[in-house]
Amino acid sequence: MIEKNPGICPMLNASSGTAKNLIEKIKSEIMRNSLVKRDLIWLELTGCSGNIISLLNGSNPDFKFLITNMVNLIYNNSLMAAEGEAALDALVNKTGSDYILAVEGAISTKNNGLYNIIGRWKGEPLTALKAVQLLGDRASHVIAVGACATHGGVSAARPNPAECVSVQSILKRKVIKLPGCPCHPDWFLGTLAHILLYGEPELDDRDRHLLFYSMLIHDRCPRRSYFDNGVFATRLGEKTCMFKLGCRGPVTRIDCPVRQWNSYVNWPIRDDTPCIGCAMFGFPDSMEPFISYDTTRKR
Amino acid sequence: MIKSEKTICQRMKQIIEESESNIKMLFKMPCIYARTSVLFELSANTAELNELCSQLIENENRQVQPTQSNITIEQLSQFTGKNGNPAYVAVNGIVYDVTNNAAWAAATHFGLTAGKDLTDEFASCHAGHSILDKLKVVGKLI
Amino acid sequence: MAKRIVINPITRISGFMEIEAFIENNIIVDAKTEGLLFRGFEKMLVGRSPFDAVYFTERICGICSTAHGVASTMALEAAMKVIPTEQGRYLRDIIHGCEFLQNHIRHFYQYTTPDFIKLPENYPLYVTDHNDFRLPEEKNALLVKHYFESLDLSRQAHEMLAVLGGKAPHNHGVFIGGITTQASTDKIIKIKSILNSINQFIRDKMIPDAYTIGEYYQDYYHNGGGYGNLLSYGCFNNYAELGTLYVDPLAYKDGSIRPFYPSGISEEIDYSWYSDDTEPYMDKPKAYSWVKAARYYGIPFETGPLARQWLSGEYRHGISTMDRTIARVLEAKKITEVIGVLLENITPDVSVQKEYSIPEAAEGEGLIDTTRGALGHWIEIDDRVISFYQIITPSGWNLSTRSGNNLKGTAEKALIGTTIQNSDNPVELGRIIRSFDPCVSCQLMYIQMVGI
Repeated sequence: MIEKNPGICPMLNASSGTAKNLIEKIKSEIMRNSLVKRDLIWLELTGCSGNIISLLNGSNPDFKFLITNMVNLIYNNSLMAAEGEAALDALVNKTGSDYILAVEGAISTKNNGLYNIIGRWKGEPLTALKAVQLLGDRASHVIAVGACATHGGVSAARPNPAECVSVQSILKRKVIKLPGCPCHPDWFLGTLAHILLYGEPELDDRDRHLLFYSMLIHDRCPRRSYFDNGVFATRLGEKTCMFKLGCRGPVTRIDCPVRQWNSYVNWPIRDDTPCIGCAMFGFPDSMEPFISYDTTRKR
Repeated sequence: MIKSEKTICQRMKQIIEESESNIKMLFKMPCIYARTSVLFELSANTAELNELCSQLIENENRQVQPTQSNITIEQLSQFTGKNGNPAYVAVNGIVYDVTNNAAWAAATHFGLTAGKDLTDEFASCHAGHSILDKLKVVGKLI
Repeated sequence: MAKRIVINPITRISGFMEIEAFIENNIIVDAKTEGLLFRGFEKMLVGRSPFDAVYFTERICGICSTAHGVASTMALEAAMKVIPTEQGRYLRDIIHGCEFLQNHIRHFYQYTTPDFIKLPENYPLYVTDHNDFRLPEEKNALLVKHYFESLDLSRQAHEMLAVLGGKAPHNHGVFIGGITTQASTDKIIKIKSILNSINQFIRDKMIPDAYTIGEYYQDYYHNGGGYGNLLSYGCFNNYAELGTLYVDPLAYKDGSIRPFYPSGISEEIDYSWYSDDTEPYMDKPKAYSWVKAARYYGIPFETGPLARQWLSGEYRHGISTMDRTIARVLEAKKITEVIGVLLENITPDVSVQKEYSIPEAAEGEGLIDTTRGALGHWIEIDDRVISFYQIITPSGWNLSTRSGNNLKGTAEKALIGTTIQNSDNPVELGRIIRSFDPCVSCQLMYIQMVGI
C-alpha cells in the first residue's frame, strides 16, 4: 500500500540533490546575505567520539567552512579552546536562546547516568543524560549523529553494560536521525544545510533524511549483477558479490555506493569487504555476524 | 486470517470495477491535483490486488503441501546454510528456502539464524504475508 | 592548607576526564586523573564471532580505531595460527601509519596548539579562559594559519587510509592476513602523492611550529616529567627482509634500555570503580576512575611517541611536557619515511586473503605500539565464539590510577611538583595532561587481569 505521496523519484533525488548542491546554494545565500548563521552545539556523549573526527574529514564543505559560514560552533569537547567550568559556561548559558543541537554517542542511563560524566558544573557532575535533558527540549532542531545517538549502536550492544539508550528515548520531541558508524560528513552537513536554508528536511517514517537514506545499498551496488547471476565470493579480496560472506547491503538503506567515503575515494564494498550494515538500525547486534566463511562453501 | 477463494475473487472483481470507473474518470479530468488523487486511489487498488493475489497463491501452496516433504524441527535444524547446506526457515508451519534471499546474507537476518522455526519473530516484524509469497516453499513443518 | 582544583571537562582529548589537584604554595602536591566514561566492551565481545572482533573493537575509539583493528587482528592471527605474509604486513602497516599521521596532525594542531596560541576569538569555539599566550603576534598568526591548513592534511591522511582501508574512521581494510584488498598501482601512486604533501607539511610547518612553541614556553621542558620509565611493544619492526624500520619492544628504566617481556604486564583495580569480581562498582571507597592501572612488573611506565623516539634513539633531549610534543611531531615525520619504505616494497595486485576457519578453542595476544602508545588485545575462543576479551590501552598506562602499592599513575606523577603561576587559571594542568594525548574513549574496560 502506498501510504503517502512518494515525492520525487529517489534516484533523481540522489543524483541531483547532493550535499554539495545544498552547499552551493548556501554559498549563494551568503553572498546575498540571506543566510543567517545559527548556533550549533555538538555534544559528544557515550560513544567513541568518531563522528566529530568524521566531520573533520568533510571536504567541500569542510570544517572551516562550517564554522566560518554556516554556524557558530558554541560547544564541542574535542575541539574547543576553553576547558573546565569555563567550557561548560558556553553550554549552560545557551539554554535561553536559539540553537541547533547535534548529539553523537548514546546516553548511558546506568546509575542515574553516572557512567558518563561530561563535565562538572558548580561542583556537580553533568552526566550525558542530564545534558541531553537540559539542552534537548529547547533546541530548534535535534540531530542524532551516528549509530549510538540514533539507536544505541555499539554503545548499547548486548549485554549493554552501561544501559545505553538513543537520544530519542530521552526526548519526547522530534529527533532527526542520521545513523551510520560513523556518520558520513556529507550526511550531517547536507542535513544541517537543509535546516539552515529550508527548515526540517523530508524524513522517512523513522526520521531519517530521505535525501541520503532512501535506497538500499543492494539496489545501487556495482556488484549487483554478480548477485543476480549467483556469482559469490568465498573470501575477502574477491571482486564478486559478498552475499555469502554476510553482506548487509540488501537490508541497509544508505547512499554509500554512489557517495563513497573520505573525499569520495573508496567504500567498504569496493575495498572487497561486505557491508556490515552500520547505517541500519540495529547495528551491530542485528547485523552480525559481519563476516562468515562457513556459508560460502559448496556441498 | 485465511480467506476463502470465493471471498478473495469477489473482492477482486469489486476492485477491478472501481478501477475501471476511475480510469474513465481520469480521461476526463482536467485538474492535475484531482488526477493525482485518483491515481493514488488506483495505486492503492493495485496494491490490494497484489495482496489478494498473494493470498491466492498462498492458499495454493497450502493445498500442495501434502505432496511436499514433511520436515521435522530436527531436520530443519540441519538447514543452517552452513557447510554447503541450504538455509531453511519455518513460518506458520511452512518451511521456506532462504538460501539465496538477499536479506538472508550468510544465512542470517537481523540477528536471526536459519534452520529454525521463526513464526513468532516473523509475526513481530512483518505484517501480512507478501514477503513469504516470494520465497520458495520446500515443505511442511511437522 | 592545600587548595583543591578540579578541571572537568578536560577538553581537546578523546573522551571525558577530570583532573583533581591540590596546590600548596603554588606547587601541585597531589593529583588524580579520572576517566569518566564506561561502556564495557570486553563484556560485549563475549559470545560474538571472533572474526567480528576486528570491526567491533575499532568502535572503541573514533580517533585511533585502526589501532584497535590492528591489535585485534594480531590477537586473532595468534589464536588461529595464521602467519601473515610480509606483503600483508606491509599493507596493514601502511594503513596503520596513515592513522598515526591523522592522529598526530590532529593532536598537535587541534588538541595541543590551542593551549599555546591564541586562535581567532570571533569563533566562539576558540574563546579561551586564560591569557598565557606568549608568541609574538606574527608567529601566532602563522601558527593560526597552519592550524586551519592542517585540517586539509589530516583529512588527506584519512583519505590515504581509505584508499586501502575502504573508509575512515572504522576502516574495513585491516583484517587477518594483512588487508582485504589488493594494492593496485593506481592506489599506490595515490598514496605516494598524498604522502608527499603530508611529508612536506610536517617538515616545513609542523616541526618548526612545535619548536616555535617550545622556544616561547621553555618552562615546559622542565615540567611534566613523571617517573621517566618508558615502554614500547614495538611497531614497524621485525620484518623478514626490512628488519626494524622504527622501534622494537623495549623498556627503559634507571638509565638503561632492556628488552620488553609481555609476561611483566599486569592491570590493577584498587582505585578503579570495579568490584573484586570486576563488575562496575561506583560506591567503592577510594576508587575515583574507570581507568585501571597498567603496570610492568608492578611499576608505572610511560608509553607513546616520546617513549618510542627515546627507545629507538631518534630523540633523547629529555622527558617533559614539551619533549612529548616535540617527539610527537618528529615521529610524524619518521612515520612518513616508514610508509615510504613500505610502499617501495609493495608488489602490486597481491591478494593476501584466504578462507579462514575458527578453531574450536584457542587463545592469542596482539601487542602493538600505536599512536598513543602500547596497546594490547587478548582473546580467548571457546566453542568457536569469543569467551574472553581483554584490552589494555595506552591510556591505561599513561592515565592510570594509583595501584595497590600506592604508586601514582604516570600522568598523576607528572603533574606533581609543577609550579602553578595562577591558581585561578591553572593552565599548566591541561597542558601537561594533553602532552600524553589521553584517549578516555578507549578506557571503558572491565576485567582484571594479573600476569597474563
